[in-house]
This record gives sequence, C-alpha cells and structure tokens, in this order.
Amino acid sequence: MVNTLVKLSNATRAVNSGSKEVILLDGIDMTVKEGEFISLMGPSGSGKSTLLNCIGMLDSFTGGGYTFLGEPVHSMKEKHRSRLYKDYIGFVFQAYHLIDELTVKENIETPLLYKNVKSSERKALVADILDRFNIVGKKDLFPSQLSGGQQQLVGIARALISEPKLILADEPTGNLNSKQGEEIMELFSELNKEGVTILQATHSESNASYGSRIINLLDGKMVSE
Amino acid sequence: MIRNYIKIAWRSLKTNRLFSIVNILGLSIGLATTLILFLFILHEHSFDTMYANKERIYRVLLNTTEDDLETWANIPSAIGPELKTNIPDVVDSGRLLRHDFGGTAFIKAGDDVFAEDKLFWSDPSILEMFDVEIIKGSGAENLKSPNNILLSERTAQRYFGQEDPIGKTVVLDNRNTFEVKGVYKDFANNSSLDFNVIAPFMMQSAAKNPTWGNASFETFLMLNSDSPDIAGIETKIQELLDVNVKKEEQWYNFSIQPLERIHLYSSSYSNSYIDNNGDINQIRNLTALAILILIIACINYMNLITARSQKRAIDVGINKTLGASVSHVITRFYVETGLITAIAMILGLLFTTIALPVFNEIAGKQLDIASLLSLKIFGFLLLIWVVTSLISGSYPALYLSRFSPKEVMKPSASKGGMASTIRKTLVVVQFSASVVLIIGVIVIHQQLEYIQNKKLGYNPENVMAISTAGIRGGQASTALVNAFEKLPNVSVVGRSQGYPGMGVSGRSITKPNSDESASIQTNRSEPSVADVLQLKLLAGQLLPKNKQEGDTLVEVVVNKTTVDFLGLSPEEAIGKKVDMQLGNNAYIYGVVDNFNFASLHNPIGAYAFHNSSRERKSYLLIRFTNDVFTETVSKFEKTFKEVAPNSAFEYAFLDKNLELLYEKETRTANIGLLFSILAVLVACLGLFGLAAFMAEQRNKEIGIRKVFGASVSKIVQLLSMDFMKLVLISLVISFPLALYLMNNWLQDFAYRIDISWTVFLVAGLLSLIVTFATVGYQAIKAAVANPIKSLRTE
Repeated sequence: MVNTLVKLSNATRAVNSGSKEVILLDGIDMTVKEGEFISLMGPSGSGKSTLLNCIGMLDSFTGGGYTFLGEPVHSMKEKHRSRLYKDYIGFVFQAYHLIDELTVKENIETPLLYKNVKSSERKALVADILDRFNIVGKKDLFPSQLSGGQQQLVGIARALISEPKLILADEPTGNLNSKQGEEIMELFSELNKEGVTILQATHSESNASYGSRIINLLDGKMVSE
Repeated sequence: MIRNYIKIAWRSLKTNRLFSIVNILGLSIGLATTLILFLFILHEHSFDTMYANKERIYRVLLNTTEDDLETWANIPSAIGPELKTNIPDVVDSGRLLRHDFGGTAFIKAGDDVFAEDKLFWSDPSILEMFDVEIIKGSGAENLKSPNNILLSERTAQRYFGQEDPIGKTVVLDNRNTFEVKGVYKDFANNSSLDFNVIAPFMMQSAAKNPTWGNASFETFLMLNSDSPDIAGIETKIQELLDVNVKKEEQWYNFSIQPLERIHLYSSSYSNSYIDNNGDINQIRNLTALAILILIIACINYMNLITARSQKRAIDVGINKTLGASVSHVITRFYVETGLITAIAMILGLLFTTIALPVFNEIAGKQLDIASLLSLKIFGFLLLIWVVTSLISGSYPALYLSRFSPKEVMKPSASKGGMASTIRKTLVVVQFSASVVLIIGVIVIHQQLEYIQNKKLGYNPENVMAISTAGIRGGQASTALVNAFEKLPNVSVVGRSQGYPGMGVSGRSITKPNSDESASIQTNRSEPSVADVLQLKLLAGQLLPKNKQEGDTLVEVVVNKTTVDFLGLSPEEAIGKKVDMQLGNNAYIYGVVDNFNFASLHNPIGAYAFHNSSRERKSYLLIRFTNDVFTETVSKFEKTFKEVAPNSAFEYAFLDKNLELLYEKETRTANIGLLFSILAVLVACLGLFGLAAFMAEQRNKEIGIRKVFGASVSKIVQLLSMDFMKLVLISLVISFPLALYLMNNWLQDFAYRIDISWTVFLVAGLLSLIVTFATVGYQAIKAAVANPIKSLRTE
C-alpha cells in the first residue's frame, strides 16, 4: 500500500496587510502520496512558494487541515512541528543557499550534525552521496568555486543526505541556464524513480513536465490538476 | 559540532577581512587596557599584604580640631609608649622619624659621600612588626643603643660594593659616626615602608624626652587581636590624652588606621613619611575607564555583526531548515564570538607587553611583565574572556537566533529596523563616552597649564636650592655664601630653612587678647631670601642683616594673609608683637605681599620669615642669570665641592620642584589622555567598519540614485549625514555630563579655570572631523563606484 505523505483539506493562509486581510492560499485540497513527483505551476504571486513553505512547516496555514504522515500538523506545537520537518523534509532552494564558509563535503554533512549522527556514520553517508552524485573530486571546494549547476547539485545532495520522505524544491532551476536546468531535472526524475517524493514549484512548462502530476495555482486557488 | 562552528567562524573571519580586523583590533586594544589596569590595580591592592602581622598592625593618626580640620599621619613622640603601657590591647608600638623631618641625609662611607633620602630613625619594635629579615650581622637589638646603623642589602652594596659592610663605620651629616651592625633584605616594592638606612630612634631628643606636643613621628601599633575593638581603643586613647593634656590645649585627637588602608586611603592625610601612597579614587576612576573602553569595543562587535544581519538571517534560515535548533544557533554565535575574543585576547596580551613600559613611564610605576604569568592573571584573563564573549555575543545570539527559517525563502529587506535602532543607540553611547573623555583631557590640560603659568607672587625661575644640611658650623656656611656670591652669573644668595613648594615648620598664630588662632608656616631665613624669591615688600623692612648670638629678640616678616588675620593694615602691623610660638619676644618687622608658597589646591595661608635660632637653615638659595642649566649646575657643583668637600651636592630648581606638586594631576592627565585616545580610536574603528557595511548595504540604492543623476558629493553627503546626526546627538548628551564631571574635578583646586565654551567647540569639531574622516572614506568609495556593477548583482 502507498502511504499518504501530505493531506491538505481546505487549507487556507491569510495575512493582514494594513487593515485589509489578504488571502494568499484559498481552500487548497491536495494529497501527496509517497513516490510522487508533483510540479506546482503558476505565475508570480499565485501562491506556489507560500504553499511550499506551509507544507514544509516553515510557515503555517491559518485555516483548514494539514496532516503529515497521518499526524495533524495544524494542531501541533511548534517544537513538535520543527522536529517533524527536520526528520522528514529536505529543502532545495532557488539560490542554492549553501553555507559559504563550508566545503562541499561539510555542507552535505551539516544536517547529520544537527541530527547527532556519529562521526563514522556521517563519513560513510557523505562518501556514498558524493559518489552517487559524481562530485567526489569537488568535495573540498568551497561553494564560490563551483558553477551554479554544481552548487545546486550539492544543494540537492545536502537535502537528500538525511533521507527525507519529501523533497521540497522552490524554483530549483531558477538561477540556472537551460542546460544546467535540464541536468537538475534529469536528476530529480532519476531520484523519483529511486523512490524519493518530490514537490517542486516552477515557472517552466518543460520543467513541470518531468513530474508525474502538475498542479496549477492562480491567485491562491487551485485551478486544475 | 563545536569544531564545525569553529571552522565556520574561522573561515568567515578569513573572508571578511575588514570586519575581522576592526573587531579584533578594537577588542584587543580594549583587553590590553583592561589587563594593564588590572595589573596596576592588583599591584596597588597588594601593598603591605606580605606582612605576617598585617591584620594586627595599625597606624595612629592625628586629627586637628582647629580651624582647618586635617588628618596627620605624624603624632607626638610620647603617644606610642604611653599606649603600650596603658592599653592592654596594644601589644607593642614603634615610632619612625625620617631623617631631619623628611630631609636628605649625607652619609660618608669610605671616601664617598652619599645623599640618602630614605634614612629612618626607628624603634626596634618596628623591625619585628614588619618582619625585617636580617641577612648579615644582627638586627633590632642594635637599635637599643646609640651609634649603630642597619643598611638594606641594596644600600650596603651602594656604599661598600662587594666588601663586607659589617663593622664598617659611616659618618652622618659630617657629625656622628655610626657602626654598621646589620644588613637586611630590601623592602618589597609594594611595601608602604621602605628604609634604605635604619638608625636608632633612641638617639633623638624626642625619644629621651617624649612630649605630647611636637607631632612629627609616624607611630605604628601592634594589637593583640585580628579583629580589635577600634572604637574602644580610640576611647582609651582619648582618656589618656585627657590625663596628659589639658582640655583647652588639645588641638587634636587621635584615631587608628589599619595597615591595609594605609596605601590607598591616605592620600588626603598630610605629614607622613610614607611617600608612595596610592589613591583609591584614582583606582576607581581608572577601573571605570577600563570598563568603558572594553564596553566600547564590545559595542563595536555587536554593531558590526548585526549590521550584516541580512546575510546572517539567511545563514540562520539555512541552518534551521537543515535541522538546527535555536540553541544550536545560539551556541554557534557564542562560539564565533568566543573565537574572536580569544584571538583578540592573545593580541591584547602582546599589546600589553609592548604598552606596559609606556604605562609604567606615565604612571610612575614598575609593573612587571613577568607578573602576567601569575595564576591570578590567568584567572582574570579567563574571566574577561568569558565576560567579553558573553556581552558581545549576547545580542547577536539572542536577536539573530530568533529569525525564522522562511527568511531563506524571501529575505525581507525591512528586517532589522529594531537592530538599526539599537545600533544607532550604541553608536551614540560610544561617542558620548568618547566626547566626555576628550573634554576631560582638554580641561585637565588647561588647568595644569593655568597652574604652571599663574603668577605666583614670587619668581621660581632660575633659582637653585642646594641642601647644606651636611655642612657643620656657621663658618663653612658663610664661606659657601661668599663663594657663590663671587660667581659671575649669580645675582643673589640667601640661606633659609626651606623654600616655597616645600613644607617648612607649621606653627599656630594667636590673635592678641583673644584665643582665635590659625596655622602659619614659618621659615627661618636670611633677609636676602626675599630678594632671591623677588617678593614684594608692602611695609616695613626685610629682616635685619645682623643678629647677635643668643639674642632672644625675634623679628618676623609676615605675608599679607597674616596681617589680614590679625585685622591690621600692613603699615599698622609693623612693630607689633606677635604670638606665633617663636617665644614671647617676636615682633613684626616687615610685611610682604602674598605668594603661593604651597600648591594651588589651597588658598594662600599665613606665612612668616623669621630669624629665631630654634630652626636650622638647611638650604642655600641662589638666583642666577645664566640659562644654560647644565653649565650652571657643573659650575655650582665645583664651587660647592671646593668649600664643602665632605658633603654631597644635592640640589633642586624651584620651578622644577613646583611641578612635583602637581605630579598626581599630571599623571592623571597623561593617563587620561592615553585612555581617551584609545577610546576614540576604538570607537572610530567601529564606525569605520559600520560605515563600510552601511555603504555595502545601500549599494543598490546608491546605484539607482546615480543612474537617476545624483552627483558624487550628494551621495557622500547622504551616507555621511546618518552618522553625523548620531555624533550631534552624542554631543548634546555628553556636553552637560562633561561639564558636571569636570567642574567636580576642578573643585579640588583653590585656583581654577572656568570651563569655557571653546572647549566644547573644539571637542565637538574634533569629533565631527574624526567622524567625517572615518565615514567619508567609505562614502566616497561607494559614491564613485560604477552603478552598473551594483545593479547587476541581482
């Protein structure tokens, strides 16, 4: 049986801007099952990033229900929630957000440090993933010494190292040229085939087509699936 | 984990050079000053702690109960033995007299004559109380019989070189012969007492006939308990006083002071033979200054780190999405701060070793670099490291750690409104402190300048005083006067007991037909002394030239204050009989105008020149015309040696000697100057770094403005104005504060300047110029940059 990772029912997010209430997400119903590769599409301001942030528990819905692996996130305490996303969610950013002061190897290792993984185990895991991503030769370089595509590769490796259930990627190719973008998308679909669940936000039709499912957003509402 | 943090911090230090240099330099200067002051304070507090009986040793103080209430550390010679005999709590007592009541001794050892200023006449008990350690010969018992002498190790070597000093004889002041009986270990440099030569007190007439009158003897008591009943003992002393001195003749009472308070809490006491006293107020002020500089340096750190909060916010966000908890982030910032402070600490230690000799020079101390290695210092360093790291790290750690991880997704530019307010406040605090220091230094220097240039009522320039205490017999002295008078560049010569700027004999003058009295300084002088000093005669004449031996008639020439006290005009006063403890046959012979015979801390009191033979004339005052000092000195020395070959040539210039009166103030001024420069420097360092980051942050704004036609000067103005505004606010805060503090300081002087508005103008302009110079560089750099570059970065 396939597990349901994320279930949103009538999820809403509204913020107060001055005296007006602005609705960013409006009655979102969606389910993410394990092994899916979903692309969120829509123009700027349609609520893609907000939805990703809320699912990633960096932000919260202001209404409706959100369950993650069967646990109700909306009624959780902050501490519990942050443990949940640390354990199950990996993030990939448009601007890569590698830590400038750390080498490739150390960047990838960081999530393991925060999870108090033992040193020998850390080394093994990092070596594995370096090997898998074919970046062993770059392990001692700093982010500034890498191209954008390579940086994003490291970013993905870092997101994967702690074996999350779900990868959230916000415009992962937004800062890359088309060739680099394609390579990243290839990687995503390969990972997906290996069983990683991916939810990405994107502008580009061609990127979206890598996914198994496309969700279109407009003005905070789901318009089609 | 921690290792990882250190790695990040270290690499971040290497990439952000400017930030690192500014921070580390600022902190290390702050730490070095704190460290030096800690050494200084530690040294000051260590005084007299080496004595085994330190908790049981007390000094007897005399409190005058007449018009000006003073505390003296010298008391009459009868008190010590009386207390020992009559008060059971007093186990022992010992009296000290510095040779010639504080004068120089001339000691002939072998063929050489040494000028010795640390010869003390001491009771044997003093040696036991203060653990004087005999290393050759014998000790205290020698002070029970006359003509024995003890030398310190250093002095023995000075007098006799490598020869064994025991059994050798020395001649004191060309008169008495003493036999060296023992050599003792030198006193520690943090001992209040420091004797080079110890002679038996029992040889003094004050020991043979102890009195309750002449208060000239420093007296120490050894009590029977570590926690004595002070008030009880003081009451018993008062009872003894009442038995021995009639109530109406008691112009004083007594109190006792524990040994541990002698060094730091005696600066307001007069008449003491201890001349290395510290001052607790000075220590307090310096501590405050050191803390201030350290705080300024910590503020720099906080400001610079939060100035980069945008980058930091993303950093925190990334780490949080990677699984870092708040405590992880807090630890990380503390580790980073700890690393920077540790580096600053090491650099600060280096600065300390370089700066210590400079500080020693300025403060007149001999602090030792080796003492940096003590356990206490290491403890202190550790403490300072922790405290600095905690203070500097607290704000970034607590403020930045709360950033939400969603900052990573869309870093909001408006973040840090709060941080920028705090930053501005901190800059204002820094600059206010700096401006107060600048004003303080200017005022202190102006006051010292004023003192040095004030018309004193006499002319201290080109006057030399030569000590003649080592010469015996009137004939030799007269021959000396004659020899000097013959020298071509000598205009007037006169002998006297002392000269302005040094204490002479304090007596009291009583109004006729009344018991109103005042203290008066009396100076036995030859008439020509008034010409040497160029005093202005108001009425009558100078002292008569010739006086018969054994003549009981005493003539006095008094100053204006004296006749004012008597309620007479100068003319009326001439020929009047006066009661000033110079016998009952003393008459006013002349009146001179007032002159500042003491320091300008005090208003001019009563002063009298007299010719009573009850005092000795120990100095030869010479007014000369040649300005080539070195030549004059060698010529004078030659003349002196010809007439008095058996005495050492000990001299002082009156104007140089006056400067010694303000030594404490000059030191304070110099230390203050040093600290202020450091404080301003550290504050400027911070400002420089801050300006750099501000310019960087507003890069895009500057680019946009330039594209739309802003000129370079407009942009420089834009960037500088922010800081100028802060400095202006600082000025508004610091001016009244500085005015208040400095007026307080000036209260210590009877003659003082008014703080003029120009001081504030200068301090204000100075800080504005410094700010502009610091900020301007960054502003101009940002303003001339190509706007395309900054706009392309998106």
